[in-house]
Amino acid sequence: MSEAGTTLPRHVYVHVPVCRSKCSYCDFFSLTPDRLPVTSEALVDALVNQARAWAERGVPPAGIDTLYVGGGTPTMLGDGLATLISALAIWAGAESDAEITIEANPESVTPEMLELLAMAGVTRVSLGIQSLDDDELAMLGRAHGASRAIDAARWVTEAGLDLSVDVMCGLPGQSAADWRQTLDRVIATDAGHISVYPLSLEAGTPLAAAVAIGDAPEPDTDVVADMLLEGAAVLKKSGLLRYETANYARPGQESRHNTAYWTGAPYLGVGPGAHGMLTAATARSAGFIVADGVDRVRYAIACSVETGLGIMPEVTVELLDRGESAREDAMLGLRLTRGIDDGLASRAGVTEVLEGLAADGLVVHADGRWATTERGWLLGNEVFSRVWAGE
Amino acid sequence: MTDPTLIRNFSIIAHIDHGKSTLADRVLQLTHTVADRDMQEQLLDSMDIERERGITIKAQAVRVMYDADDGQEYQLNLIDTPGHVDFTYEVSRSLAACEGVILVVDAAQGVEAQTVANALMAMNAGLEIIPLINKIDLPAADPERVRHEIEEGLAIPADEAVLASGKTGEGVRDALEAVVRLVPHPVGDPHAPLKALIFDSYFDAYRGVVALIRVIDGSVSKGVKIRMMASATVTDVEEVGVRRPANLPVESLGVGEVGYLITGLKDPALVKVGDTVTLARHGATEQLPGYREAKPMVFTGLFPIDGDQYPDLRDALERLQLNDPALLWEPESSHALGFGFRVGFLGLLHMEVVKERLEREFGLELLATAPSVEYHAFRTKGDMVVVHSPQDMPDPGHLDRTEEPYLKVTVLVPPDYVGAVMELSDQRRGTFKDMQYLSATTVELHYEMPLSELIMDFFDQLKSRTKGYASLDYEYIGYRESNLVKLDILLAGKAVDALSFVVHRDKAYARGKVLTEKLREIIPRQMFEVPIQAAIGAKIISRETVRAMRKDVIAKCYGGDISRKRKLLEKQKAGKKRMKNVGSVEIPQEAFMAILKVDE
Ligand SMILES: Nc1nc2c(ncn2[C@@H]2O[C@H](COP(=O)(O)OP(=O)(O)O)[C@@H](O)[C@H]2O)c(=O)[nH]1
Ligand code: SF4
Ligand SMILES: [Mg+2]
Repeated sequence: MSEAGTTLPRHVYVHVPVCRSKCSYCDFFSLTPDRLPVTSEALVDALVNQARAWAERGVPPAGIDTLYVGGGTPTMLGDGLATLISALAIWAGAESDAEITIEANPESVTPEMLELLAMAGVTRVSLGIQSLDDDELAMLGRAHGASRAIDAARWVTEAGLDLSVDVMCGLPGQSAADWRQTLDRVIATDAGHISVYPLSLEAGTPLAAAVAIGDAPEPDTDVVADMLLEGAAVLKKSGLLRYETANYARPGQESRHNTAYWTGAPYLGVGPGAHGMLTAATARSAGFIVADGVDRVRYAIACSVETGLGIMPEVTVELLDRGESAREDAMLGLRLTRGIDDGLASRAGVTEVLEGLAADGLVVHADGRWATTERGWLLGNEVFSRVWAGE
Repeated sequence: MTDPTLIRNFSIIAHIDHGKSTLADRVLQLTHTVADRDMQEQLLDSMDIERERGITIKAQAVRVMYDADDGQEYQLNLIDTPGHVDFTYEVSRSLAACEGVILVVDAAQGVEAQTVANALMAMNAGLEIIPLINKIDLPAADPERVRHEIEEGLAIPADEAVLASGKTGEGVRDALEAVVRLVPHPVGDPHAPLKALIFDSYFDAYRGVVALIRVIDGSVSKGVKIRMMASATVTDVEEVGVRRPANLPVESLGVGEVGYLITGLKDPALVKVGDTVTLARHGATEQLPGYREAKPMVFTGLFPIDGDQYPDLRDALERLQLNDPALLWEPESSHALGFGFRVGFLGLLHMEVVKERLEREFGLELLATAPSVEYHAFRTKGDMVVVHSPQDMPDPGHLDRTEEPYLKVTVLVPPDYVGAVMELSDQRRGTFKDMQYLSATTVELHYEMPLSELIMDFFDQLKSRTKGYASLDYEYIGYRESNLVKLDILLAGKAVDALSFVVHRDKAYARGKVLTEKLREIIPRQMFEVPIQAAIGAKIISRETVRAMRKDVIAKCYGGDISRKRKLLEKQKAGKKRMKNVGSVEIPQEAFMAILKVDE
């Protein structure tokens, strides 16, 4: 089956679909322990087996540059998380300078666990703090309070791991002053990487319902726009520079794994609810039916432990031709501060579109590159949708 | 050919929903014209829209054979007339084919506006009127009260009114007995040259235009050469027949008979409702009275949302026109909406029905601009411009005076609501003429009012302000001097032609203000601030602003989100595509109809 020279992507994402409780705004695939039909030991084994099965399907691993264990809440696996990471690192042959990130939530990390993870090869922890206001945390249905979050951040740095913090703005009832306070306290954790997300009310979540029936005030988009602007300015002053729509880092602390998503690099997805992207050649070798003319294959593993955790999990696939791949790369590349070069713009056939966007002040062209402007960051959908549509 | 003394031609007339179609169904069943197993509700309403909306748009004629109590078999021709004021002329022609009518009045609702209007039309046509109080099965039925209303309000003797229920079938035989007994049989000269009245026509894909006719004098048979007098068209008769209700060919149609006539003509415009059919040689010299050209009263621009559908829209209009010669149209182009047609209709209902059929039967997605009427604008240099579209309106500098079409409006309402009706018609520039009590519970009010005010949501307003009690009828009375101006709407500094409209000067300011406010709500925030202005000529009379959208961004986009978020963006983009892009402003479709729903 194997085509010569096809090996697994050098970026691997593993999805751990467990959380202590469900947050009110969350539409990710994760289950509370009482609804998880397997033990966490069995879950770890199954994830490792699913990854290994790729080799048996004809595409062997060829080393790992980045591994990202996300969720859900991977730290819910306890010591099993270290086992999972060691097993994957050994199987795939993690490089000595590999970036290995785990997602963590304050309520389920301990100093001991972090030490163990560091020994297993983890280099980076993405900590879901979201807010440092206890009332806001309660409204979000988070399983932790503000002081635990600050402790957890300290434990991460004490364990010698790079710290990244997720924080949200545009929460119902949140004032500009509330936001500024959370932001200052997050910066004070000394995180080298901070992600800022305006709350997105996803259909079907309890928080969206609460807003819809008027139990929670709907955040005003003008206020949110100001919060995002202020966030970018304050972070910059503290040395954290925007390198992507929602991500800020001290130079050198940018996430290599996530950057792979935005630059069109293939990645392997493992676990129920995970997504992957393969070159057409790799996908063919792994047994996918891929028509001629397809350039890349995106697959999504079923959001179900029953069908998404086996060694041949149920997947849905999306096939992109060369033009679509290029437009997708251009769209994603414009999420990055550095933007895209003229070559990609012309391969994607979007030079004219970009000129139009430049006339609207959403992108600029300089030194052979197209990059998003301040205004473009706030109105990103206009940029993304026009570039993707190619018109 | 049947002995005219054994023929009765009659029509059923009623206010909408009083049970006309249901009663016609019962007549077909009782006379075994349609087998019970083939019976489907509202048999004579053949279009889906007719059935759904419960209105009759096309006239129908059906022949039934009835064994009367006197032992004779009678040929009854039941002519089903359209049931809406838009089609008043068509109704008058259908009535001209009859000698009598059954006037159906709902036993619970009593006399309503179109009961009066239809009864008056029947009286003017000199027809025998048989009152029938229907729906007596209803718990709320009050036949005595209704009998009173018919006598007092319409001055029609009703002590022998037929009591019936189309639902249970009770009284239907009594109704047919009354028709045989009271409706005069047709009288004509069998030896005179042919004179037959065309009271409707439709288009058959295999046979061409089919005319529904009533023979007055002489006879018509297959093979003869005929002439249609008003349209001056000569042609051969391919077939004559009767409708039972399917077409059944016969040798010939003689004095008093009702049936159809096929000529092989393919252009429906040549076969005009109200025209007289005679023989090509040695024919009649005088037309039957009452003929009128179909005249559209309400005009709107119809534009395909997808510009590629323009040729399809043209084809569809041509197809509809085959059965609806009253539908008139000409190409129109708009800066905002691209290529489309300015279409003329008999009235608002006609317009709605046509738009709905275009969308439903032809799969078109259409945008309609606010309906307007035909204004007359006299220029300073003395000539007159016919204004079908606001774009035709001369510049204020060249405008001397204007005229607009007026209606005589009749409203029937319980006395408690007279105040509400007065208030509404005042707002609509109505002039009160008179008022009279038809009974203790019903007042009849007469107004003169511009047609343009009536097409602006008037009926809905009337209904809501009178808790649904008021009923409405109107007739066209001609042009009156008026003081009209063209109001332009500017978006981002540019006039959007499809949003312009003509309005009376006294109302321009209020309308401009309400409309700009409304547009502010309808137009979504865009990347740039969008000023909305209302202007008369160069003078801005009101202004609103849609603030610029400041944030619209998918912040989270990682490996698992890419496909999903891309689809989300595609959906967002498709939504925008359905809006009309004028200059740099995206305008949702509702904006173009907003003008219609403005109540200042
Ligand atoms: N109870 C009752 N309902 C009736 C009777 N005749 C008609 N209807 C109902 O009244 C409504 C209007 O009837 P339709 O025949 O369509 O009225 P049209 O608008 O005059 O043609 C329909 O819902 C009928 O089912 C009747 O004799 N008794
Ligand atoms: S912790 Fe994250 S994945 Fe888990 S429920 Fe909350 S938002 Fe969802
Ligand atoms: Mg009907």
